[in-house]
Amino acid sequence: MIDLPVLKNAATPSPRERFWRSSADLRGELGGLHDGEFMPGASERPGSSSRRDFLRVMGASMAMAGLAACRRPVEQVLPYTRQPEEIVPGEPLYYATGMPYRGVLRPVLVRSHEGRPTKIEGNPEHPVSGGASGAFEQASILNLYDPDRSQRVLRGGVGAEWREFVRFAQELDGASRIGVVAPPTSSPTIQALRDRLAARFPALQWVTHAPEGPDPSRLALRTEAGGVARPVYRFSEAEVIVSLDSDFLGPTEINLLSNAAEYARNRQMASPEDTPGRLYVAESAYSLTGGMADHRKRLRSGDIPAFAQALAARLGVGESPGGSAMEDAFMGAMVRDLQAAGPRAVLVAGDTQPPEVHALAAAVNEALGAVGSTVSYLASDEDMASSQAERFAALASAMHAGDIDFLLLLGGNPAYSAPPEFDFAAGMGRVARTAHLGLHLDETGQAAEWHIPQTHYLEAWGDGRAYDGTLSVVQPLIAPLYEAAKSDIEVLGLLADGVDTPGYDLVRAQWSAYLPDNMEEAWRKALHDGFLPDSGYPEALPALQTPALSAAAPGDEETEVVLRLDPTVLDGSYANNAWMMELPDPVTKIVWDNVALISPAMAERLGVSAKYDKGQYKVDVVEISVAGRSVRLPAWIQPGLPDYSVHLTMGYGRRIATDRPPREARFFDLDHYTDIYADGPLANGVGSNVAALLGGDMRRVLAGAEVRATGDTWTISTTQEHGYMEGRPLFRKATLSEFRERPTFAPDMVPPLHGQEEWEEYPALWQKAHPSEQPAITENRYYANQWGMVIDLNTCTGCNACVVACNSENNVQMVGKEEVGRGREMHWLRIDRYFVSGDGADTDEPAMVVQPVPCMHCENAPCEAVCPVAATVHSPDGTNQMIYNRCIGTRYCSNNCPYKVRRFSFFNWTKTLPETVQMAQNPNVTVRFRGVMEKCSYCIQRVRGAQHAANLEDRPLRDGEVKTACQQACGMQSIVFGDLNDPNSAASRARANPRRYEMLAELSVKPRTSYLARVTNPNPELEPQG
Amino acid sequence: MGHSTSHSAEPPLVTGNLSFHELTELVARHAEKKPPLGWYIAIGISSLLLVNLLVMIAYQVWNGVGVWGNNVPVGWGWPIVDFVFWVGIGHAGTLISAILFLFRQRWRTSINRAAEAMTIFAVMCALLFPTIHVGRIWVIYWTLPIPNQMDMWPQFKSPLLWDVFAVSSYFIVSLMFWYVGLIPDLATLRDRARSFVRQRVLGVFSMGWTGSNRHWRNYEKAYLLLAGLATPLVLSVHSVVSFDFAVSIVPGWHTTIFPPYFVAGAIFSGFAMVVTLMVIARKVYGIEDLITLNHLEKMNIIILLTGSMVGFAYITEFFIAWYSQVGYEQYAFINRATGPYAWAYWIMMSCNLLAPQVFWFKRLRRNVPLMFAISILVNIGMWFERFVITVISLHRDYLPSSWGYFSPTWVDVMTFAGSFGLFLTLFLLFLRFAPMVALSEVKGVTPQADPHFYDQESS
Repeated sequence: MIDLPVLKNAATPSPRERFWRSSADLRGELGGLHDGEFMPGASERPGSSSRRDFLRVMGASMAMAGLAACRRPVEQVLPYTRQPEEIVPGEPLYYATGMPYRGVLRPVLVRSHEGRPTKIEGNPEHPVSGGASGAFEQASILNLYDPDRSQRVLRGGVGAEWREFVRFAQELDGASRIGVVAPPTSSPTIQALRDRLAARFPALQWVTHAPEGPDPSRLALRTEAGGVARPVYRFSEAEVIVSLDSDFLGPTEINLLSNAAEYARNRQMASPEDTPGRLYVAESAYSLTGGMADHRKRLRSGDIPAFAQALAARLGVGESPGGSAMEDAFMGAMVRDLQAAGPRAVLVAGDTQPPEVHALAAAVNEALGAVGSTVSYLASDEDMASSQAERFAALASAMHAGDIDFLLLLGGNPAYSAPPEFDFAAGMGRVARTAHLGLHLDETGQAAEWHIPQTHYLEAWGDGRAYDGTLSVVQPLIAPLYEAAKSDIEVLGLLADGVDTPGYDLVRAQWSAYLPDNMEEAWRKALHDGFLPDSGYPEALPALQTPALSAAAPGDEETEVVLRLDPTVLDGSYANNAWMMELPDPVTKIVWDNVALISPAMAERLGVSAKYDKGQYKVDVVEISVAGRSVRLPAWIQPGLPDYSVHLTMGYGRRIATDRPPREARFFDLDHYTDIYADGPLANGVGSNVAALLGGDMRRVLAGAEVRATGDTWTISTTQEHGYMEGRPLFRKATLSEFRERPTFAPDMVPPLHGQEEWEEYPALWQKAHPSEQPAITENRYYANQWGMVIDLNTCTGCNACVVACNSENNVQMVGKEEVGRGREMHWLRIDRYFVSGDGADTDEPAMVVQPVPCMHCENAPCEAVCPVAATVHSPDGTNQMIYNRCIGTRYCSNNCPYKVRRFSFFNWTKTLPETVQMAQNPNVTVRFRGVMEKCSYCIQRVRGAQHAANLEDRPLRDGEVKTACQQACGMQSIVFGDLNDPNSAASRARANPRRYEMLAELSVKPRTSYLARVTNPNPELEPQG
Repeated sequence: MGHSTSHSAEPPLVTGNLSFHELTELVARHAEKKPPLGWYIAIGISSLLLVNLLVMIAYQVWNGVGVWGNNVPVGWGWPIVDFVFWVGIGHAGTLISAILFLFRQRWRTSINRAAEAMTIFAVMCALLFPTIHVGRIWVIYWTLPIPNQMDMWPQFKSPLLWDVFAVSSYFIVSLMFWYVGLIPDLATLRDRARSFVRQRVLGVFSMGWTGSNRHWRNYEKAYLLLAGLATPLVLSVHSVVSFDFAVSIVPGWHTTIFPPYFVAGAIFSGFAMVVTLMVIARKVYGIEDLITLNHLEKMNIIILLTGSMVGFAYITEFFIAWYSQVGYEQYAFINRATGPYAWAYWIMMSCNLLAPQVFWFKRLRRNVPLMFAISILVNIGMWFERFVITVISLHRDYLPSSWGYFSPTWVDVMTFAGSFGLFLTLFLLFLRFAPMVALSEVKGVTPQADPHFYDQESS
């Protein structure tokens, strides 16, 4: 024993207080009795300094000495509502912040375990989100931990220091001709810094560059005051919705969360008395919105302006284009519906449509009286961006002419996404000085003189506005993983002011304008809430005129090419994100590739096909050329597409540089194969860059394309190889009138055998001594809650947000294209997509339905009975759970699962995870080893966490307190989870819905997850879709 | 002996009119002399295959089950197909030994030793596959009811656990049965042994056999009892293996016909394998007098019978699928015959149902090259039967969204090839070191053993 008097004296307890257990104890009569109660050392008071205490004190002081050296920003990060008194290890903290997304801020709540962000969720108190989030928010956490992020400042490709760049920035001559290319942003701080930059460098050329091209809505809709009028749709009020090539429920939609919540309210049906709206969609691609449509018309994007014009003319706006090509039963029925609905109708124009169609749609809405009812406009303060393409072209030609002295690329990647005619990378070479700020050393970074690693939004201070204009501060949750990383605000601040100011000071200075009184308190509240209340844009009315359509309709046999943001990798900014690469495209279910979508008729004409080959598809590669520009892509035959229309998505064909060495593996080791990160950045070599087709006007719809088969083939991996339901009653749907006639149509689709018991009473295997009736179950405290889930197929669009949320929450591993092709994807939650065509209906016009399939948690689980070691068992709260450390991996359970929701770790996926990606893992969920089975657990860790919290507060669990990750992400609130023992819980109420059915109930497995069948509301005048 | 003609309706079981000594020489010398060059070549090849098996297992255990073609939905691929294939082959030996013994089919004596050895080696191959098939082989012992600190027991509802018991008890009883039958012959070898070591080793294994009346009495009792014990096992082991499938809810697996159908199939494939091996062995070792054409013909008749039973079961399955009016079940069978794996189904049908039909003709079932070819076809067909049941049923079950495809990897193929290495190596060692024909029993059925024609009079 080391006896240090210094420590002993310092730690002697105060003599004034004494604790005693009985009067005998107080008098000291018990002697040393209770001293010997525990093991030596176990009950030692901290005062007596033993070797143990010495080590403890020394250890703590070492740790604190070390901590002092950590870069702990003195800036204040304020927790959200559940602020604990101190950080409790193992208890996550939640912080509100915002994610910049396509020029707006998506409000999020970030879960942090011991200072490590692990999960993104929606901010439930924010006016636009309702607590939901999209797939991109969910996946953005993995961008933070991307192992290929650039980590050091580079100058001419060699390592440099930030202070060198500071000196460089300070020495810039005020007369320099400066160009800045920045992605769209809503940050007031950046706007202010931009003004200051313009003051320092009067010859500033600032170009906002969005890879998807200019926003036509912004170009079309102006307020009376001349600002941008931003439409906000209230679909919940609408009886008739008409989409003109608008995928307003699609994953890439800017205002997805609000649209989804609104549309869900339109479609939720508790009883046959509820009337859903009617959705007409005229579109070129098969979008998720098109999948929700009651009536869908496939038209080329180039034909839709004429369609819109004809529609508007019928409603008294503008003139008909002449000709009767668009006058058919569909148009007639739709027009009568719109007229009948009047102010309760709304037209929505999509991003592929020219500004004129947006203006036309707005004019029709006005004429219908919908403005103020189903649509309203906000006066946004954003950059007018009269024409982004023109400004970009001007900058590019200035670059080539040598008229730019210094070019700053503030986070975007124009060398990748700009039209080829600008030859942006070469243009950069002709500028004397270039600097690139980016998360990766990407195509642009490689062409720049200076490269500065950018901070992720979870690492740096910033601000921005949500779609409705509500202001938020972007607060960091973690110090930058890489010391050299700087935020866009910091770089801009340095250039604007010549002073290297921390981002915190810049943002706070900007916010002092918004928080004039009692700045500190208001600032803390804004950080805590995640937004500044009532800071949204004011409502305004747009100045409407009925425009003449400029673009001529394409010829009947003229092929158009439509470019869109990718539903998984967006514009390429998520291309190095394993979750997004392996996220199936919501319609095609393709992973790790981009394809050219063509109609079956077009495929036949071109002589291309997709041959099913051993679990994958061997597809023909086509070459698409427009005006001499061309790109080669595998062709994918998509039912429901218009003929002469080709659809491409952006974001693939990336070329990112990384310092990470390729993985070396021994010859008998498959680590190289199982490590998806082995060969450098994930994004490299996947797909092709379709920006090569863009013209200088950056239009997304390119007419006059040539498509030809090249004779090459390419292998495509999908997560769903078979798209038809084979007449099986899996996804059930009916029309509104059928529903009213027979409210229980869905469960009735599989009737009990003639003269037999109902399925519910059907005798089951092991019924006599069913595990759920054993005392070990019924006497367990968890027995009080019986969990169940109901998924509403009437509102689910299949946007994938739940899938990514599940990946993030449950440490689901990604396996790579080849393994997906071999049927080994690990997603715990998948979304089945089926095409449905009615009896004798043309298979060119199929309906599309989506069905999320998590584990059904069967009460008579077929998986449980066949496990030889009891590794999958029923919990007392009625869920089916995997015991990973008991599993020996026979895979019998997976064979016997009729829903095939079980996933097996065929390889050790986690062994090779890069260190940073390991940081993204949720510490509350076991990271699975190879050779064990896994599956959806109903987020049991969340259930237990909520029960733990309720237990500490000595109160019963409240309904809605437990939210599964998928449920929480869902913007449609299609997923309801709760306690079935509570008759008033949301889940119990959902189960009382007459539309409820259990998939494969006839197997008598008694699934706890059930579905609410879809009810469509077709126009009686028209044939129902599918 | 003129009156003997009236009794010789059945041809003699052993030809060549060999004396007891000549018989002993004929069989025992192969276990004593230096083996021929062919044996060395054969064991060289088979032990290479065996080494390949060990390498494949090491590779799989090191890297994971993913080195095979298994996936979701096809959780069971080649390893389980191979397992059922080998278990099936492992049926003939004990059937010949035990059931034919109980039915007093004396022709069994010429082939039972080799068939039993084949059974044991085939069951060893079979046991290998479910063992290496699991994801975490290092905890495979959790399937055994071993008392442990966790109080965790195997789950007795699982057919896989029944498998563990069924196959292991079948293996143990077959091994005992084989060994008990070997004792008198090992004693014969011991008595002929010249070297000290050989005498000692054989002395230990023959357990002090002297051939006394009391020894024979005990031996016959034990043999009869073991035959009685092994007989239900012959039927139960493959019934239990079929429960792996029948107890599940997978369309195409969930079928009550499986136990008899699997047992018939197992006998079918086992006899085919015996024919394959015996046709070669009788030629190479010059024991055509012991294993006569009559023996082979009898086996071919059993192949014809069981093959037709199996074929009947195939057709019954289709009928029941239609009769049940369950769409999933109907699709499973339509998919077998017309889906992406239809080629496998038609290989199975032609090899198992059609090929053996040639044995209706006496001349053809006594044609050695033809029967060899048919026996190979049957072995192929029976492997495909297990492939059809396991893989085709799994790859398309209830939800079309999760339909998939299975293709084997080179590791699957090499592991299966390696299991033949294990089997053949053990079989060649058996041929080299043990009497390949049950001498004492064969001697009992020769004319010399019955100089007074008691047997023929009583029969």
